[in-house]
Amino acid sequence: MPFYLFWLFTTVMLIGGVSVIAFRNPVSSALSVVTCFVGLAGLFIGLSAFFVGVIQILVYTGAVMVLFLFIIMLLDLKDEEHRTNKIAPIATGLVLIGIFLIQLFSVIADTPNAESPPLDQATLSAAADSYPQDSKIATELKEGHLPDVHLIGHTLFTQYNLHLQILGVLLLVATIGVVSLSKRQTE
Amino acid sequence: MPAYYLEAFTVTLGLVLLLAEAFFPARKGKAWVGIAGAIGLAGILASAFLTIGPEGNPTANWASWPMWNFYQFDSLARFFKIFSLLTTIFVLLMAVDYRSILARFTDHPESENGTGEFYCLPIFACAGMMWIASARDLATAFVALELVTVTFYILVAFMRRNIGSLEAGVKYLIIGALSTGFLVYGIAWIYGSLGTMTFDGLASALHSPGTLHTTPLLFGIALVLIGLGFKVGAVPTHIWIPDVYQGAPTPTTAFLSVGSKAAGFVLLIRFIEPFLDGFSPVRHEVTGILAILATATLLFGNFAAIPQTNFKRLLGYSSIAHAGFLLLALAAWQPESINSLGSSKSVAFYLATYLLMTLAVFFVLGQVRVQRQGEAIADFNGLGKSNPRLATVMTVLLAALAGVPLTAGFVGKFLVFDLARNAHFWCPLIIGCIGAAAGFYYYFKIIRAMWWIEPDSSAATIVLPRITQISLIMLTAAVIIIGIYPEPIYALLR
Repeated sequence: MPFYLFWLFTTVMLIGGVSVIAFRNPVSSALSVVTCFVGLAGLFIGLSAFFVGVIQILVYTGAVMVLFLFIIMLLDLKDEEHRTNKIAPIATGLVLIGIFLIQLFSVIADTPNAESPPLDQATLSAAADSYPQDSKIATELKEGHLPDVHLIGHTLFTQYNLHLQILGVLLLVATIGVVSLSKRQTE
Repeated sequence: MPAYYLEAFTVTLGLVLLLAEAFFPARKGKAWVGIAGAIGLAGILASAFLTIGPEGNPTANWASWPMWNFYQFDSLARFFKIFSLLTTIFVLLMAVDYRSILARFTDHPESENGTGEFYCLPIFACAGMMWIASARDLATAFVALELVTVTFYILVAFMRRNIGSLEAGVKYLIIGALSTGFLVYGIAWIYGSLGTMTFDGLASALHSPGTLHTTPLLFGIALVLIGLGFKVGAVPTHIWIPDVYQGAPTPTTAFLSVGSKAAGFVLLIRFIEPFLDGFSPVRHEVTGILAILATATLLFGNFAAIPQTNFKRLLGYSSIAHAGFLLLALAAWQPESINSLGSSKSVAFYLATYLLMTLAVFFVLGQVRVQRQGEAIADFNGLGKSNPRLATVMTVLLAALAGVPLTAGFVGKFLVFDLARNAHFWCPLIIGCIGAAAGFYYYFKIIRAMWWIEPDSSAATIVLPRITQISLIMLTAAVIIIGIYPEPIYALLR
């Protein structure tokens, strides 16, 4: 990814993230999340994770956040009331964040950089050997394309099959919980 | 029978009960859902003794399935599966006897219509705990852990007409989400530095360190420990415990303090084992982190428990203190040998004794809440006069929690102190002894209230319902038997 594009998308993402907590109007906050996700999608695409980037736009920005906006509008939330901010909790929070950031930066400074292999014809066709001959994935890799949807599907259903089924139970539990915690009370 | 049938049966049981609860008429209340759940789980518990892993029958068709790439069934996994099932059975029975309070704060105060899900959700949480016990990699463990945590978000806030329960739910949700963030971030750093998420892979990557850079790895380990510290109730992510324990419905509190803590500890054992191995380049650092966490947890849990006047809140602090003892056993890591159980099995043993004592105390607490409308220590006043048998049982249980010899609690504490002594951890050991002494003080405050303080004239006499009575007798008998003859638990661990 070109250097300037990385900084562009990172800046968009950071501005979006900061404005989520800075805005008092919930609709503005939700739209800031959308901005943040667009920047994130740009970063993913820049890192050759095309599928994840597109999904980020389609599912998170397009579906999840729009649903959020609908809910906010249906609930008719008002602006957050202006609270009197106390110095002590804010100062403690800032100190904690500062310590965490310093630690993060020193860990990163102490870690050697590693170059990721470029996604060219040679690496792709070398990767084709680990998949069955004549499969869709192997042929596409040999031709120098990246069949990322197929690869993700393959990984999900072979290496992460059990996880997927556990997630099914988790979603069921979450649905039951939402219903039983929010259903109308009979008076 | 292959071991993974156990989780499949458990989830099926939960689904069947949910459907039955929704479609059968509710004229007779919902208690039958809880009883049916407990009976079903007891059946699964019985079959847990018959299940085998792929080593048990290598020629079978299923033994070569790729399922075993994400799923293992060793003695620790089997022990914690039995542990989760047993906990869930007792929690369901406790919920059945607690249903008047549940009904009052859910749908309509006079009907039990809103309480059916309260008996089904623990079954799904139980399946999650069983999956954690069998996890082979961090991804499985994480997904299963989230299943348990999401279920607990609902169970904690279940009494939605009770402001305390809602407040507990919000607190648990926020701190839980934060700690999940730490956990995932830590897993990402570990994957980045070792290139694998399986526990076997971690061990082999540490065996041949080569050009391994330990700084990012240690950062990842520290983040994961913070995330798991939330589950087990260790400093610094312990702050949710007192408020959530006090606000949540009593069966949920019991489940949190036994089931959720055990799930956190089995994952902690699996995760930490490769890093504490003799070959590991980060061994000293990880031992140091664990020893500091254990000492801080012991100090906080024991000393903050002393001034408490609410018994449920006191049990919250005491559960932090017990987490401190368990962390001390992990910090003083020793592999299993001929004349020692080793750290992982000592932790399992301690948790088993903790299950017996804690669940029994929560059974009593639930009935005090139902019949005397309170959970303060003052609500136990005069129990020795009005119901001397119950007061005797309670005295035995509290003595076991404090660690009096000839009770199960003593054997567990002895194993921990023995490990710490062998590892020459003198400073944490002394703090542990001071903590145990403080434990005598705050547990004996309740014994004093029961036997030496006169009750209010308005206080109701406590009569235990049948289910609570039977469960209490079984658990208390087990506490005394294990205290004298701990062999049954050793046999389970083998």
